[in-house]
Amino acid sequence: MFHVKISLFSKTKSLESKIDIFHDKIIDVAMTFKKAIRVYLNEQRSHEYKKLNKQIKQIEHDADSIRRDIESRLYEHNLIPDLRADVLNLVENLDKIINKFDEVAYRFYIERPDFPAEYHMRMLELCDQVTDCCENTAIASRAFFRDISSVRDYSQKVYFIEHETDLSSGHMKEAIFDSDLPLANKLQLSNLITEVADIADIAEDCIDELLIFTIKRDI
Amino acid sequence: MDYMFFVFLSSGLFLGWSLGANDAANIFGTAVGTKMVRFKTAAIIASIFVILGAVCSGSGASKTLVELGAVNALAGAFMCAFSAAVTVYWMVNSSIPVSTSQSIVGAIIGWNIYSNKPTDYTILSKIISTWILCPLLAGIIAILLYILTRYLLKHAKIHLLRLDSYTRIGLILTGAFGAYALGSNNIGNVMGVFVDANPLQNVSWHNFSLSGTQLLFLIGGLAISVGIFTRSHKVMRVIGKKIMVMTPITAWIVVVSQSIVLFLFASQGLEQILQQHNLPALPLVPVSSSQAVIGAVMGIGLAKGGHNMRWDILGKVSLGWITTPVISAIICFISLFFLENVFNQTVYLP
Repeated sequence: MFHVKISLFSKTKSLESKIDIFHDKIIDVAMTFKKAIRVYLNEQRSHEYKKLNKQIKQIEHDADSIRRDIESRLYEHNLIPDLRADVLNLVENLDKIINKFDEVAYRFYIERPDFPAEYHMRMLELCDQVTDCCENTAIASRAFFRDISSVRDYSQKVYFIEHETDLSSGHMKEAIFDSDLPLANKLQLSNLITEVADIADIAEDCIDELLIFTIKRDI
Repeated sequence: MDYMFFVFLSSGLFLGWSLGANDAANIFGTAVGTKMVRFKTAAIIASIFVILGAVCSGSGASKTLVELGAVNALAGAFMCAFSAAVTVYWMVNSSIPVSTSQSIVGAIIGWNIYSNKPTDYTILSKIISTWILCPLLAGIIAILLYILTRYLLKHAKIHLLRLDSYTRIGLILTGAFGAYALGSNNIGNVMGVFVDANPLQNVSWHNFSLSGTQLLFLIGGLAISVGIFTRSHKVMRVIGKKIMVMTPITAWIVVVSQSIVLFLFASQGLEQILQQHNLPALPLVPVSSSQAVIGAVMGIGLAKGGHNMRWDILGKVSLGWITTPVISAIICFISLFFLENVFNQTVYLP
């Protein structure tokens, strides 16, 4: 009769860990992606790359099921009614980052782009920036749940790195189009570079919303 | 016992019902409106603790009302409570923040004037001072609590989900305290005028005993409970969305501030402790929970920097301070005339 729900503590504890695991998945997928691109640039579509690509797919699949679980539990147990919509939105936006990593890695697998060696360093630098951006997004989002005062700090880092990503991808595209590569190759590389840089854009969009949610979360 | 007592008591029960409908919403409104607490849970807790507060600690605040005007005839008490209830009903419909306390004070003064009894101006000024003191104190407590809670939350780094659970439990516990404080402070409004004309005898059962006044307060408490169950759900839903566009935590701060203020103005124990230490004690007077809520909300608004504050509410409250007792006194005076001269009822004893 009395829905004081002391048992809520056990429910929230398990959901807290689900949310933590979901954030771990973002960092996992970012690190795996970075490793996969390094392997691809060195070995093209090797067995190792296929393995990493499969690993990314698995992380994306796991993240999807965790997201669904979080969403249904939030509704089933009527948790955080005032911020539930924001949390669901946040989780869905973060999931878009994971999906994008999977999508880009798969495009490399399907399209097998030919990256000349002189662009390898720049590509790796771009990937570093993108993964760094997403890691900071995950940390900022984690902070939203525990320590809202540090959300702003990590968000600022994301904005800075995203800007760097835009610059890097722009310079790289310029260099590619200045080269003697065939146009089809140039377009393919440019397209893939845009796709990689887009991951940081999605992270930035996440942070934009996260900052609004943080204002609402403040008492 | 004269069955007429219960007929006359009906106006008090009506006042209790409307108090239950409106003031319980002040305690659990946001919690229910934001779906943090189920209505059924809120209603059960509020009812139990309102009755407990009324029966266990209701005598302090109601004593002051009795001192203001010892309504010594049942028909007179009936009309006082009826006038107060009508005023409250009318003011609520006009969307003016209304206080049952101010309404009943006006009605008692109306009775005093009609019956040519002197009004104790010391008591009256004591009561009027609380009308200002109540929202002011609630505002100050809310500001302090807001700053403290914010500081603690910043450093405790509690997970959002866990904080949600703590907030729910906090809302329920403070809601219970708030209901107790409401019962103890405001039962005087509902039943205070019937105390002097109360024919109920003491009852005892094993080691448990209730005085006639406590029995009267128990009946009043039950009327408030009925108001909570039958009408407050609608008011709670409105309050949860309209007045308090705030987070469950700030809602909790509002309830705590309001409950503390109501308790301060009702606790005889606290009064004794303060007097023993030569500290100025707060007068034990029924105060308005709605105005305490408005004071607390304003306090939080100020603590947040004063943005988006609706200062016009203060104007409405001030308007209520003047109009409520005046209207209630006029209605009471005119109605007493009709009750005495048309219905041949004794509305006061010389």
